[in-house]
This record gives sequence, structure tokens and C-alpha cells, in this order.
Amino acid sequence: MQSEKFGQQVVQQELALDSYLSTLLDEIPSEIELNQKELKVEAKVILPAQQLKVIPQVIEKKRVQVENKEEDSNKPIKPLAVMPDWAQYEFQALFFKVDKLILATPLTELLRTIKVEKAPTKIPGQPSWFMGLLDTHEQRIGVLDTGQLIFGKTIGQKRDLEKQPFQRILITQDGKWGLACDEILSIGKLEPSKVRWRTLRKKKPWLIGTVIDELTAVIDVNHLVPHRKTS
Amino acid sequence: MSEDNQNDPIMQWVTFRLGDEKYGINVMQVQEVLRITEIAPVPGAPSYVLGIINLRGNVVTVIDTRNRFGLMFKETDDSSRVVIIETEEHIIGILVDSVAEVVELRASEIETAPNVGNEETSKYIQGVTSLENELLILVDLNKFLSDEEKQEMDMF
Repeated sequence: MQSEKFGQQVVQQELALDSYLSTLLDEIPSEIELNQKELKVEAKVILPAQQLKVIPQVIEKKRVQVENKEEDSNKPIKPLAVMPDWAQYEFQALFFKVDKLILATPLTELLRTIKVEKAPTKIPGQPSWFMGLLDTHEQRIGVLDTGQLIFGKTIGQKRDLEKQPFQRILITQDGKWGLACDEILSIGKLEPSKVRWRTLRKKKPWLIGTVIDELTAVIDVNHLVPHRKTS
Repeated sequence: MSEDNQNDPIMQWVTFRLGDEKYGINVMQVQEVLRITEIAPVPGAPSYVLGIINLRGNVVTVIDTRNRFGLMFKETDDSSRVVIIETEEHIIGILVDSVAEVVELRASEIETAPNVGNEETSKYIQGVTSLENELLILVDLNKFLSDEEKQEMDMF
């Protein structure tokens, strides 16, 4: 009885979380869609010969999770093979804000943060989400409009950057890119079991999961930044 | 020529401003810099073509560089200049907010600009370099117009 109640609460929490994030980020697949596609993704992941030993374990664990969700909901979630390395264990994350959305990303993926003191130099012919180049600490970084990357062009471009400029820039570990944001909030530890991991990432591959208690999107900056092309 | 210059040649660049940014073009391709004169509009011309001017009997097409670079329109003023440039086959004028100076840059000082989008227009950005605490964007005038656009120029 208690376990049934607890299960309902979890479902309600997840529904609320979905509703919240759907408002901020469109294109997130529904729970049912996710579960169905998760199984398909696993089938793809376990196909390579070197992972044959893992097959029975992965499939069994997932089936138990899907079929006996209520029983397993109070057990720690096992890290999934499709997650980045840093997501496998507890990690330190930087919490920051873009518009009204709170985002978290592992500290190991970042070099440092800087205050925006001068506008980046705009380069003609680049996409609207590329704000320009900025020289900082002997490095030249490409500054990206995180709002446009996260919320999409239509919503992101509504922001008037002259009236409401970004205040801070997160510099990626390779020192090549800067993610413009509104505010740095804090640094905190994140346990994988507190995160609802998103295993299907065909759309929005940078959205790795959500911190259930804090309605925070966990992002992988490596999938958010573009890969430089040689001109 | 010294060995140093052969390995790392020095080039001269004419710099100009458009909005907050500073751009550079190869001095060898600049024929002259003119104050604003009467620019006759060409009916049916693309939006980046301001019109034509009569330069000592020759018709020269003037490009709206702000439009070309995706910048906001700005009325011309006392600082505005038309830079007459020579590309591979054409002589064109480019309207800029102001012309600044001529600078010397070593090839090693020029860094390739990132090309993150699929836009064809970004091909004319040759590189970037730091100059007096600001970035100078170097423009490859030979790629400033596409082949199709160059052909279109011939019709004016």
C-alpha cells in the first residue's frame, strides 16, 4: 500500500517535471516514448562484439526497471552505459542561469568563468547564435548565445541583447568556446541517483538529464558547442 | 628580402570601421578612397547594391557593406567613405562608416576565423588578429562576391 502511494508520488513528480521542462524546452519526448525508445537505444548500444558480456546484465536491469518500476523506485539508479563518463559517479557541477532556466554542468568540462566586460567582436556571415570572438586571458574564444542554443532560435532571438545583455561567460575546458549566461548561481555536488538521466538524446543531445529535486537541466557542454570547421 | 620576411611575410592592410567592428582589406587591392558622392540607384539591383557612381568616366558599382555583413542600416555622414577596390576581375566600391589607417601584419599574426555555420557568406572572412586591444577582421575581397554576383555586376 505504502509502496503504491510512493510510486504514485514518483509518477506525479515526474509528470510535474515533464510539464515544467516542456514549457521551457520543447521537443522532449513523452515518458512512454522515452521508455520505448530507451529499449531500442540499448539494443543498439549492446550490439558491438566487445560489449557482448554486458548484454544480459543491461537488458535484465532495464526490464526490471520498466516492469517493476514501483518496487525499484527507492533503489539507487544504476548509471547507464550511454551516459558521459562524468555522469557515472558523484560530480561537482556549476549551476547557472539562462533566462529563467537553471542549468548544471560538470566543473570538469569548464576552464573558468568570466564577467562580460566588453561585447564580443561580431564576425559577419555567422549564425545568429554565434555572438562573436572575444580575447581573454591570452585566449580567443567564440562566444555563443546559450539562450538560442537551448531554447531554439525562435525563442532565443526574441531577447534584445542590447537591453538585456548576458552577464557572465562560461569557458569550456578546451578554451575555445564561451557560453554566455545570465548568472552563476553556485557549485554543488550532484549524485547520479538524484538525476533523471535522459538516455535518448537524438534531439537536444546536450540535455543529459534533470535534477529532480531542483528542476535543473543537466547539460553536456561538449554537445552544445559547435565543432569548428576549417575555412 | 630577409629570411624572416620570406618565412613570415608582412602584409599591409587598410582598416575601416562598420559599427563597432574594425575590418581590414589588402592594401594592394585598394585603388582609392572617396568621400561620399552621388550614388545613382539601379532599379532591380540586389539589396546589397547601393547603386553606381561615375569615376572619371568609368561606371563603378557601390556595395552596401553594412547590408552585406548583416548590419543595421546607417545614414551616411562626414566620416563615410567609398573604398574603390580591385578584385580578380572587377572594380567595385564598398561603402564603409570610416577609413582608419594602414597597418602591417605578419602572416603568423593572423588566425583563421571560426566558420561555425553553413553560410556561404562567411567565406570572405580571411582571418582575425588582435590590434590595439581590439579584434581586426580581415576580409578576402576576392571572395567578397560570389561568381554569380560578379556576373550580375557586369549587367549594371
